Amino acid sequence: MHWRDGDELAALMTAYQAGSMPAFEHLYARLAPPLLSYLTSLSRDRARAQDLLQEAFLQIHRSRHAYRSDLPVRPWVFTIARHVWLMDRRTHSRRPHTDHAERSLPDLPVPAAVEGFADRDRVRRALNDLLPDRREALLLHHVWGFSFAEVGRMLGIRPDAAKLRSSRGIVDLRRRLTHD
Amino acid sequence: MTDHPIQMPDTLRTAVARDLRPVTPLAPPSKRVVIVAPVAIVLLFASAIVFGVRRDAPALGPWLTWTASTLQMLLGLALIMAALREAVPGTMLSRRALGIVFGTAAIAMLSITFMTWVVSPTTIAPGFVRYVWSVCVAGGVLSALPVVALSGWLAARAFPLRPRIAGAIYGLGAGLIADAGWRLFCHFSDPSHVLGAHALAIALVALLGSRFSGSPGSQVRVREP
Repeated sequence: MHWRDGDELAALMTAYQAGSMPAFEHLYARLAPPLLSYLTSLSRDRARAQDLLQEAFLQIHRSRHAYRSDLPVRPWVFTIARHVWLMDRRTHSRRPHTDHAERSLPDLPVPAAVEGFADRDRVRRALNDLLPDRREALLLHHVWGFSFAEVGRMLGIRPDAAKLRSSRGIVDLRRRLTHD
Repeated sequence: MTDHPIQMPDTLRTAVARDLRPVTPLAPPSKRVVIVAPVAIVLLFASAIVFGVRRDAPALGPWLTWTASTLQMLLGLALIMAALREAVPGTMLSRRALGIVFGTAAIAMLSITFMTWVVSPTTIAPGFVRYVWSVCVAGGVLSALPVVALSGWLAARAFPLRPRIAGAIYGLGAGLIADAGWRLFCHFSDPSHVLGAHALAIALVALLGSRFSGSPGSQVRVREP
């Protein structure tokens, strides 16, 4: 799985910090798909997630000096993307609510741990109904391959709290899929 | 999982290409905090040099004067280091770690206060309480300002996503550093004074750090749907 290639991403990030446009393009090619998926899972709206993805990359660009090569790249970029989503949510919570996000089922990624329980649409529907904090920890660990220590540092919680959220999410998900 | 290639929009490519100058990566927090150390050392000695060492220094001995203050200053630097770590995206502190940070500061303050009070109990004469309080609160806050400003600049460079938390931690560290120097001058060891005026000064500096810390959130411009 290409998530394990942290050294390569770190090398690309270092080249990008040195001013390489091809390095940025490679980073975008590698990170944009999972980030879009993550932002879709947070916002539950693919169109909004695509906007947020561009904002996230702009933020990554503005703060590229803050990346240290001794740190893994993916938790750093995912945390910035999460912040962009939080800021967007704060902005939109001050405006009249539209239920656009609730009308259609978002294109949520399906964790391998529950893939065999039902067809992808049912799994997505069940994922969509999970508590947001459980869904996020579950997806970060089971889909994007972050360790619980990394999930904890990204969300500002303890690793065991991240593990608990994820495992409760899996239990909820299995219960929903087997009871439906 | 959505893993299909995604075309980079031209607007993003243009924005990045326009501003693609080389940047110097940040050093780890343990190295960056060294920038604050000289200011902390100056603050440790400043009050004692300018106003004189506390009158009860001979009774307290070197451990409860210089050593205790040096340890308090080092704790302050450790808190600033924690704040610089908190400021880096993806390495944010958990609630438990934050509890340990604030708890350690409180325990250190309480321990030094009560040990000093036991060895050399000194109270403020009636009628002077308000004056001494105002001097200690103002002195503590004002002397912490250079450390707050420097730490704030260092933290802002790291792109803190929870700037208020980072600000509160480095503010607390700056307050402890300033108080480490101030207690070498202020000889009133009465816990009601130390845990009142001195702790108030530290809390105000932490509040100041939290209130005025730079937020990258203000830079986020999200397009309208």
